[in-house]
Amino acid sequence: MIQLLGWGDQGWGDELVRAAGMTLAVALCAFLLGLVVGSGGAAAKLSRFRALQAAADAYTTVLRGIPELLVIYLLFFGGSGALMYVARIFGHTGYIEINAFATGAVAIGIVNGAYSTEVIRGAVLAVHPGQIEAAKAYGMSRSVMFRRIVAPQVLRYALPSLGNVWQLALKETALISVTGLVEIMRQATVGAGSTKQPFTFYAAACVLYLILTTVSGLGFARAERWAARGVRRA
Amino acid sequence: MTPAFEIKDIHKRFGALEVLKGISLAGAEGDVISIIGASGSGKSTLLRCINMLETPDQGEIRVGSEHIVLGPGRNGRAAAPDRRQVDRMRTHLGMVFQSFNLWTHMTVLENVIEAPVHVQKRPRAECVEEAMALLDKVGIADKRDHYPVHLSGGQQQRAAIARALAMRPQLLLFDEPTSALDPELVGEVLRVIRQLALEGRTMLIVTHELRFAREVSTRTIFLHEGRIEEEGPPGEVLVAPRSERCGQFIASHY
Repeated sequence: MIQLLGWGDQGWGDELVRAAGMTLAVALCAFLLGLVVGSGGAAAKLSRFRALQAAADAYTTVLRGIPELLVIYLLFFGGSGALMYVARIFGHTGYIEINAFATGAVAIGIVNGAYSTEVIRGAVLAVHPGQIEAAKAYGMSRSVMFRRIVAPQVLRYALPSLGNVWQLALKETALISVTGLVEIMRQATVGAGSTKQPFTFYAAACVLYLILTTVSGLGFARAERWAARGVRRA
Repeated sequence: MTPAFEIKDIHKRFGALEVLKGISLAGAEGDVISIIGASGSGKSTLLRCINMLETPDQGEIRVGSEHIVLGPGRNGRAAAPDRRQVDRMRTHLGMVFQSFNLWTHMTVLENVIEAPVHVQKRPRAECVEEAMALLDKVGIADKRDHYPVHLSGGQQQRAAIARALAMRPQLLLFDEPTSALDPELVGEVLRVIRQLALEGRTMLIVTHELRFAREVSTRTIFLHEGRIEEEGPPGEVLVAPRSERCGQFIASHY
C-alpha cells in the first residue's frame, strides 16, 4: 500500500495530491463566486424594489431546491449545446466542449451563492438598528457607514454560517468528477479502477477531504474569534 | 447675537398621526434647554428631527452655518433634503442616545475617534490625544481598550458622551440619557452632564429627571401632544407652572 500511494512512476501519491489542489482551487473559486453572488442576492432581497426581491427569491428557491448534480449537468452539457448552437449560426460546425474547471466552479458557485444569500441577508438583519443610527447621527456617508460599521458587523454574524457554506462547496466539488475534471474524487476512481484496489483509494480520498475540511475549519474558527471581538461569549 | 441653533415650525407626522405640530425653538451659546413631557408628547421625535434621523415634513433647521429648509415638495410629500448637507450638519451635532449605541466591534477609544478620523478627517494622532483627555474627563480613561460589552451601562453612556464631545459639536443632543440605566448608575452620568453645563456647552436634553433638569437647565420646555405647552426658566416651569397639564405632569413625576 505504501508503494501504491507513494511518489513517482509507481505510486499514485503525487497524482492524488495534485488532485487535492484541484479540489481546493475549484472550491475556492466557487466559494468566492458564491460570496459575490450572495452579496448581490442579499442586497436584492433587502432592497425596496419588488422585482429585485422576487428575482432573488426565485433564485434561492430554485437553486436550493434542485440537486447540485443536475446544475452541473445542465451547465456542462446544456452549456456546450448552447455554445454549439450559437457557433453553428456563425458557420462553425463540430463539437465544442466547455472548460470543466470553469463549469464546475460556476455550477457550485451559483448553488453556493443561494446559501450565501440567505446567510448574508440574515447577518445584515442581525445588525442592531441603533448601530446604524449612531453612524448616521455622526455624519457618516453611506459608503463610510458601510465600510466602517455595517461590513465588519455583518462579517461577524455571517462568518460562522459561511464556514458551513465553504464546507458544502468543498464537498460538492466531488460531483464535478462527472465532467472528467481530475479532482480528488475522479483521481481516486481512476486509481481504484486501474489497480483494483478501490478501498485503498477511496480511503485516501477520505483522508484528503478530511485534511482540507479540518484545516480550513481551523482557519474559520480563527477568523470567527477575530470577528467576534467585542461580543460577550455565552 | 445669532443663536447657536434655531428650528422653525417643525412638523412631523407618522401616517395619520401628527407627532409634532409646529415647534419653534432657538438657543444661544451656552443654553441648556431641558425638554420634558409625557411619553408620546413628541420629545424624542423633536430631538431626532433636529439631527434628521427623522425627516421633518416641514420646517427649518439652522445649526451654525448649516441651514436646512424642509417643505412640501411637488407631490405634497416632504422634499428630500440634500444628503451631503445633512451629513455636514450632523458633524456639528453630538447625539447621545438612550441606549448608548456605541459601536460594538470597536473599543471605547476607537468609538471616540471614529467619526473625528473617518468623517471629519482630522489627523489620527490629534484625535487620539483629544479622545484620551475626554475619556479622562468622563472618568473612564482606564477603559479605553475595553469593548462596550464589558462596561456597565453608566460607563457606556459616559463613553458615548465622550464620543459626542470628540466631534467638537456646536450643540449636544441628549435623548433620555439615563432612562436605560440602573438607578445606582444614573448619578455618574448626570454628574458628567452637569459638568458640561458648567463649562457652558449648548445642550438640548430630553429627560424624565425633573430635579436634574431644574438644576442644570437655563430653560425648560414642556411638550404636550406635539406642541410647546409651556416654556420658561426651570424655576418657573418646574415649580410653578402656569398650564394645568404641565402642573399635573410635574405633580405625577416628583
